[in-house]
Amino acid sequence: MDASRNLYAIFGIPPDATQEDIREAYRVAARRFHPDANPNEGADVQFRDIASAYEVLGNPLLRAEYDAARRRYQNEPNYFSLRVTPSKRVLSVLDEPQVIYLLAEITPMRQSAQDRKQDARLNLTLVLDRSTSMKGDRLDKVKIAAQQIIDQLTTDDILSLVSFSDRADVLIPAARVTDKTSMRAMVNMMRADGGTEIFHGLLAGVKECERYLGSQLVNHVILLTDGRTFGDEEKCLELAEQAADKGIAISAMGIGDEWNDVFLDALASTTGGSSSFINSPAAVVRFLNDRVRSLGAAFAERLHMSVAPDSDVNLESVFKLMPTPQPVDIRPQPIPIGALEYNRPLSVLVQLQMPPSSKPGFRTFVRLDVTGDVLAADRQKYKVLSDISIEIAQNPAPEEPPLAILDALGKLTLYRMQQKAEDSVTRGNVIEATRRLENLATRLLAVGQEDLAQMAMVEARRVSKTSALSEEGRKTLKFGTRMLLALPQPGEESR
Amino acid sequence: MKICPYCAHANREGELFCEECGHPFVNQQGVATTQLVGEDRAVYEQRMAWGTARFDSQSSILIRIQNQADPIKLAPKDELMLGRADVRSEWMPDLDMSSFGGAELGVSRRHAAIRRGENTLMLVDLGSANGTHLNGQRLTPDQPRVLRDGDEIRMGKLVFHIYFK
Repeated sequence: MDASRNLYAIFGIPPDATQEDIREAYRVAARRFHPDANPNEGADVQFRDIASAYEVLGNPLLRAEYDAARRRYQNEPNYFSLRVTPSKRVLSVLDEPQVIYLLAEITPMRQSAQDRKQDARLNLTLVLDRSTSMKGDRLDKVKIAAQQIIDQLTTDDILSLVSFSDRADVLIPAARVTDKTSMRAMVNMMRADGGTEIFHGLLAGVKECERYLGSQLVNHVILLTDGRTFGDEEKCLELAEQAADKGIAISAMGIGDEWNDVFLDALASTTGGSSSFINSPAAVVRFLNDRVRSLGAAFAERLHMSVAPDSDVNLESVFKLMPTPQPVDIRPQPIPIGALEYNRPLSVLVQLQMPPSSKPGFRTFVRLDVTGDVLAADRQKYKVLSDISIEIAQNPAPEEPPLAILDALGKLTLYRMQQKAEDSVTRGNVIEATRRLENLATRLLAVGQEDLAQMAMVEARRVSKTSALSEEGRKTLKFGTRMLLALPQPGEESR
Repeated sequence: MKICPYCAHANREGELFCEECGHPFVNQQGVATTQLVGEDRAVYEQRMAWGTARFDSQSSILIRIQNQADPIKLAPKDELMLGRADVRSEWMPDLDMSSFGGAELGVSRRHAAIRRGENTLMLVDLGSANGTHLNGQRLTPDQPRVLRDGDEIRMGKLVFHIYFK
C-alpha cells in the first residue's frame, strides 16, 4: 500500500468521511471515468487510480492501515501547485459544439523551492553527431560547447559522451565529473567521418545514462545531429519510449536544414524533453549551454499530466508553453511534460471541445492531474489534482478572456498557421498554401515580427512558383513561431 | 459559429483567434470595455455592425464614390476590374476611375478586382502602386478579402463604399 498518495483527494472527500460517503463518492467517480462510459484515454488513467483507491478505502481494515501509514505524510509540505484558468467562466446554452481552453500552471511552492541549496544533480549524456557533414565549423563548435559543459558541471554530476556516425563510440563512459582535463581531451578526439545513423548513438547513450539512473537525479540525454537518419526512426522512437519508462528524457537539437524535425519532435515529446533548431554553427554553444543550465534548474523531474474529460467532452490538443514551448502528444496518457524549474512555472495550454449544451447549470467537465518527482526532497510521484467546473447559462454577460490565455493562444495560433500552410504544401494545394503563408505574414507583421514575416512572404512566393518550401525557410518559420511562445507576456517582468 | 470578419472562415464558438487567418476576435489589450448605455449604445452598435457578407445570384453591386452625387450600379461577374482606362494599350477596366479624378488620386490602371466567390464577393489588390485599403486596412497584393455590405474601400486616395442590392 502506497501511503504517499492522498487517496481521499482522488474522491474529493475529507479523511473522516464515513464508509457510506466513500461508497457514494466511488460510485459517482466511477460513473464519470469508467472506460465503458468514457472513451477518453485520460479517463482510463483516472479510473485505474479510482479503482485502486477504492480497494483500500472501501475496505475498513485496509483503510485503517492506510490511515495509520498516512500519518507520516501529514505534515508533508505542498511541493508544487496546479492552477487552472479556463478561457471562459460561463458558457452559453448553445446547440453547437464550443471550444474551451485551459491554461494549467504548475508552480513550485515557495517554501520548498527555497530549501534548494544547489543546482539539481545531473546524470547527463551527450550524444553527438560526427558524420562527415559535421566537418569543420559545426564539429568545432560542438566540441567547444561540450568542453564548456564539462567546465560547468561539478563532481556531484555524472556525465557520459557518445559520438556517432554510422557507428557509435562511447568516448566518455558515465562517471562523476572529477577529471575534467581528461574528459576535455576525449572531446577533442572526435573526428568527422561517416554517415548518420542515430539509433546506434542513441542506444549507446541511453545505456550510459541508465548506469547511474537515480530518482534524485536529472536523467537526461541530449542528442545533437545535422542529418536525417535512414530507416531506423521507428527503432529510435521505440527506444525513446523505453527510456521514458525508465525516467530518462531526451532533448533533440538539429543543426542546419537537413534533419527531420518531425522525428526529433516526436523523440522529445515521447520523453518530456525539448527539441530545437540551431540555424548556425555559432549558435551551437549557446543552445547547448542554455539547455544544460535549465536542466540544472530542475526542482521536480519526470512530470506527467493526465487530462480526463467527461465522456461527452473531447480533448483536442495539449501544448506546453513554458519553460520551453513544445507540442506534446495527447496519447498515450499520462503525458510526459518534462521538468519543473525552481524559479518559473511550467505552463500548458489544453484545448477541449464541449458538446452542445441545452440546459443551464453548473458542471464539472474535466479532471487534470500532475505527478512528478521532487528532487531535493527525494519525494517520488508527488501528485496534485484539480477538477474543473464551468457554469452554463442563457445569454451570459460577455467576458474578456484572461490575458495570459489570450497572449499564449495568439502566439500558438501563429505556430499552427505555419503548420497548416505546411500541410497545404504537402497536399499539393498551392493556392491554399500561398494564402496561408500570406495570412501568416500579415499576422506576424501585426505582432511586430518583421523578420519572420519577411520569411513567410519569401516562402509564399517560393511556393507559388515552385510548389515547395525551402527546408531552411520551413524550419525557421516552424521553430521561429514556436519560440515566440517563450517571449515574456506583455506586462510580465522579463526574467 | 463565429464567422471571421477578415477571411469568412467558420470557426467554432469559443475560439479566440481565427483558425485560418489568425485574426483576433477580441481586443488584444484585454482592457475591460466601457459599458455604453441608451442612445450611445444604439449609435455605437450601428456604427460597429458588420454588413452581411452574403452576396447571392440575384444581388448587384452599388458603388458610392466619396463626393460624387450618384451611385454607380454594377452587374457582378467573375472578375470585375477596377482601375483607370488607358488609351494607348486599349485597356478598359469594368469600373473606370479616370472621370472621378483617378489619376490625381493615385489609382493604378490595373488597381484592384472584385471577384465572385461562393455567395460572397472578394476584393483583391492587383499589385497597385499606391495600394488598396479595406476598412482602413491595407491589403496584401493578390490576397483576396471577403467584402461586406457597406465596406469602405480606398484605392490610392480615392475612397468609395460598396453596397449589395
